[in-house]
Amino acid sequence: MSLVDFLQSYQKMSTAKHRMRDKKMRNQPTNVTYSSQGSSHWRNGGDTHTGRGRDLSPHPWGQGSSHSGHAQGGGWVRGHQREGHGGYPQALPTHITASAFAKARAAEVNAMLMAVTKTTGSSHVFGALPKHMRRRAMSHNTKRLPCRLRDMANNMLEKSQKAGQKVKKEQSKSKSRKARRRHGNMLLEFNRRQRKNLWLETHIWHAKRFHMVKRWGYCLGDRPTYKCYRACYRAMSSHCLLQDMSYYCCVELQGPGEQLLAALSKLTSKETGPTFAAAMCVSGRRQGSVVVYRAGQYPLQPLGPVTFLWRPTTQGRRGQEDQGSQGSTHRQLWIWAHPTMKTDLLPELQAVCQCSEAVLPPAPVDLPVPQPAPTPTLAPGPGACPEAVPASSSGSKRKWSSREPEAAGPPAKKLLGYSTISATTPVTWRSSTTGIVISDLTMEMVRYRLIGPLSHSVLTETLAPATHCDATGKSRPSPFWWPDHCRDDCNMSLHQQQAGVFNMLKGVYSTAEVPAGSVLGLTVDDPRLTLPNKRSKAVSDIRKAQGVNEERRRELMLKGIPEPLSQSSLWDRSVRDNVTHNKMTDQEVNRLRNDVLVPGSRLPTPLQGRVPVLLVQQSGKSQGTEMGSWGAGWDLLLPKAWGMAFWVPLVYRGVRIGGLRMSLKHAQNKGEPHFPHDYPDCPAGARFQEEQEAELLAKFRRRPPAKRTNYIKHGCLAPFRCPWQQLVEEWELIVKEGGGGGEEAVASMEQEVTPPQSNFTVLRNRKSLRQLSAWCRPTSSKCQRARNPGSTPQLNRNVAASLLSAHGGSSLVWIRLSLVTKGQPEQHALVCVPTAEDLQLVRKEPGCTGPQEPLHTDHFKSRVKRPRKKDHNKPGTTSSSSTKPENKQSDPASTSVPGVNPGPDPSSSSSLTNPSSSAKQSDPASTSVPSVNPGPDPSSSSSLTNPSSSCTSALTLGLWPEPLPSVTSHCSRVTLGWVTQGDFSLSAGCGEALGLLSLTGLLHTLLRQPEGQRGLVLLRNPGSLQYRFAKINIEV
Amino acid sequence: MVRLKSRYLLCGVCVSDRRNLSLLDDRAIYTATKAAVARAHGDYGAALSSLGFSVKYLNAHTGIVFLRCRKSHYRLIWSALPFITSLENRGQRVPCFLNCLHVGGTIRTCQKFLVRYNTQQLHRMLPLCQSEAERSEIRKSVLSCTLKKEADDEEEDE
Repeated sequence: MSLVDFLQSYQKMSTAKHRMRDKKMRNQPTNVTYSSQGSSHWRNGGDTHTGRGRDLSPHPWGQGSSHSGHAQGGGWVRGHQREGHGGYPQALPTHITASAFAKARAAEVNAMLMAVTKTTGSSHVFGALPKHMRRRAMSHNTKRLPCRLRDMANNMLEKSQKAGQKVKKEQSKSKSRKARRRHGNMLLEFNRRQRKNLWLETHIWHAKRFHMVKRWGYCLGDRPTYKCYRACYRAMSSHCLLQDMSYYCCVELQGPGEQLLAALSKLTSKETGPTFAAAMCVSGRRQGSVVVYRAGQYPLQPLGPVTFLWRPTTQGRRGQEDQGSQGSTHRQLWIWAHPTMKTDLLPELQAVCQCSEAVLPPAPVDLPVPQPAPTPTLAPGPGACPEAVPASSSGSKRKWSSREPEAAGPPAKKLLGYSTISATTPVTWRSSTTGIVISDLTMEMVRYRLIGPLSHSVLTETLAPATHCDATGKSRPSPFWWPDHCRDDCNMSLHQQQAGVFNMLKGVYSTAEVPAGSVLGLTVDDPRLTLPNKRSKAVSDIRKAQGVNEERRRELMLKGIPEPLSQSSLWDRSVRDNVTHNKMTDQEVNRLRNDVLVPGSRLPTPLQGRVPVLLVQQSGKSQGTEMGSWGAGWDLLLPKAWGMAFWVPLVYRGVRIGGLRMSLKHAQNKGEPHFPHDYPDCPAGARFQEEQEAELLAKFRRRPPAKRTNYIKHGCLAPFRCPWQQLVEEWELIVKEGGGGGEEAVASMEQEVTPPQSNFTVLRNRKSLRQLSAWCRPTSSKCQRARNPGSTPQLNRNVAASLLSAHGGSSLVWIRLSLVTKGQPEQHALVCVPTAEDLQLVRKEPGCTGPQEPLHTDHFKSRVKRPRKKDHNKPGTTSSSSTKPENKQSDPASTSVPGVNPGPDPSSSSSLTNPSSSAKQSDPASTSVPSVNPGPDPSSSSSLTNPSSSCTSALTLGLWPEPLPSVTSHCSRVTLGWVTQGDFSLSAGCGEALGLLSLTGLLHTLLRQPEGQRGLVLLRNPGSLQYRFAKINIEV
Repeated sequence: MVRLKSRYLLCGVCVSDRRNLSLLDDRAIYTATKAAVARAHGDYGAALSSLGFSVKYLNAHTGIVFLRCRKSHYRLIWSALPFITSLENRGQRVPCFLNCLHVGGTIRTCQKFLVRYNTQQLHRMLPLCQSEAERSEIRKSVLSCTLKKEADDEEEDE
């Protein structure tokens, strides 16, 4: 009776309150009786509850003294009493012994002493002090306490202060702020902080203005801290957006041209478009891009897209190049790849080129780099410096280190380039058989991307072609590369031509007018010399340039930049190193500026102020009908260490700066796949997807459970990732079923449980894509007729089957979706097949919003809650009450699993086999889509693949546990694929999404759609029930 | 300040037969006291005294009880205590009487008094011991509680 009472009151009392009370009553004596029956728990008087929970904690004094008292029958320990309490009345003697009496008194005295001396309640010392001696703010100022209590109070104060603070705060204050901010110490600190994630040269500039993320081993700016989404879009579409792309990795390949091409041809296929051997690119006039596969594996195992650039072999250079033994066939190739791809790409390149022999980095000079001229001595003494900049050379010389081991130099050294790798790690590999040399030029160059129609104006305003050396500079031997370069007339004429073309860019109306991928080599003056006083917006000044040489400009636009002009000294490692080492510091430039007589006039060009750069045109939107050539721009390649010297002048020309997020949006608006996001078949893409899932899941879990979206109710199986493999397999099964007949349905379902381990690929065969693209458009549309005058065969079963067999069933197609009416697609939105009714609906009223998904029921909800409830019950309940909820909750979970799907019959598992088989058999007869009505078959599959034995520990409310049921038929519309990124497209004026669909499913759907409505699909966001109509565009 | 003031009665339960001590518990004392008050002071008195009345502490070995009641009406209980002649527990009647040793304003003063009272008793017992064994036992217990006190003080100082 009393126990139950106690339990009830115990549960009522909140744990915190209980704890407080326990603490307060810690030292108070409790009742001591012979009988155990609820004596201490009895609620006497009705006003207070004397059950202090003492029975849970050991008796403070009864243990100390009363264990010994057992001999006289005075065993007070409660546990002991319980076991033998029936016998005590008899055991008690009638007489009284002195020792027992004394012991009992002594024990009581002890208990009382404890209660009296120990202060209750607050742990402060002054709790013991009588009221009239208490003072204000005693806890803060211990001097207000009487002397005898001060020490104790001080101890207490220290303890409380320690508890409040974090422990690690201590060590940072070892140095004063001034010492910490001193340049050398700051550099040391920066180098320490770069150990894990590398910084770009513009890192500090970005870190002040951007939200930085650590990704792919770099610290990169994700998005600016200020609001500029639309401003950045406007910049891309009407002015210029600047991005630092230096984190892209460059791999340099050198060797005989034929050998190189032969080796590289294994990595690519002509079916995906122009390869490394494309004529325009091989000549060096154009930059090319290609998707690389593992050697000889073409449709399978892609690695990812790369851009590449051949070094042109021009007449001007051949004059000197004959000194090199390789002759004119010696070629040099740069492959630019995303950093996540590099780990896959580099071993593949080494294998293909048979470059296994690592060249140790201390001897990078040994590279067979074709020198433009007899190399001058690279290590000039301070005496060799020109008088113009007396303080500069020695100071700057010491500071820049390219790849020297860190330990060797002075401690405070600014790290440049790929500093995280140790000095002994090889970055160059040579092949003895093929003569190819691969070197990893990661972080050896700076790459800036300017996007927007006025990028050329920004460039022409910022950069000025290098001024010539005067006669005295030429004649004297100098440590810098430019005077030597100037001595050669060939070089000079080339430079003049390049400068002429560059100046001609001023007259170009838009960046997009220059042919895509054009490359222009150039040598420019240090842009800091012409830095304007104020930030202003660069505008194209066509008027001025017009009429000067109209013909030449037109020629430039039509034919592109002529081949020899793509040559640049940036290709030479020696020149790059020279330029890097001899960069003037900002301090020296400012001193020069200080010395100028007329403030604001142009600075005299110092000898080391010439930088070789490469300008590469990036093509804009080349596919699709609207907004052609949107987002075109220039890439600016610089030698390392010059990053900030060019960055600030560019910023002063009024460009906007974008981060990673903006580059994603750029790709999205351009309608082209963005590397790690839209390449799920590449290893890097798979890695990215995993990371993204973990990130999104963590974000989801951070929300309070009541505020989370319940994705199960929305019928979304995988809101944070896309199970491509499962999708592809299921579609293969569906198609097989549709062709075979109803008998195979059961067998195929069994197969589904153990899927074959094959990998999916993304279809990149241009011919097939072109076919698909034609089929996806409604036949009535004009543009299709205009574009494809009968070149592609009409869509029918046989053609589709042949296409399918050519590429295998496990292919995905990358598509662009544009919404017909309203709606804003999100990441991981579902792309579904519309049913016949949906198509009819949209035919009747074209502006309709689209069908709704019926709300699903979350049968995992009860199972998710159970563990928490158990915990809650644990302290109080007896055995009978704790077993009850388990029984209750396991019942609905086990019975209701078959009804998980909102399909027509959630009735029971017994009725499963009949309707499913009957539906299958009726399907081929009626020639309707067998899988469109998802009622019966998903329920059977889900009941099979979703056993109640699935681990409940991994359950999260609102997310499906790991063995997912059939992804295609989970909702009322059959899923075709998912969206990888989607947003409202500012360039198209409607919601646009990029995603991938199953090729099998796409063909299956297209075949069953009426001709006028081909390519119409439904799109549904993971957190919404509304389907929206969208059109498929496949662009080649 | 603003609080309900109480009185704490420190009573000793005197039982003729020691075996009956095993039946002693706080509920028995509570009911016995209430009955005594009702008999002595009638319903009105019982109602007044039952407010805030509780048994705070009971030691069956030594027969010590702390009773707590409101200060305004403690006399009602105090005066009714001599009328308790027996306690009833589990159907058994234990003849006894309550001996009020101390009346305090706080439980702390009662505890202090009890410490003093018990030590005094022990000290008084010591010369009256008959055998050497008893004497050593009592001395040990006396020492144990006094020493403990010093140890406690030391702990406090730390």
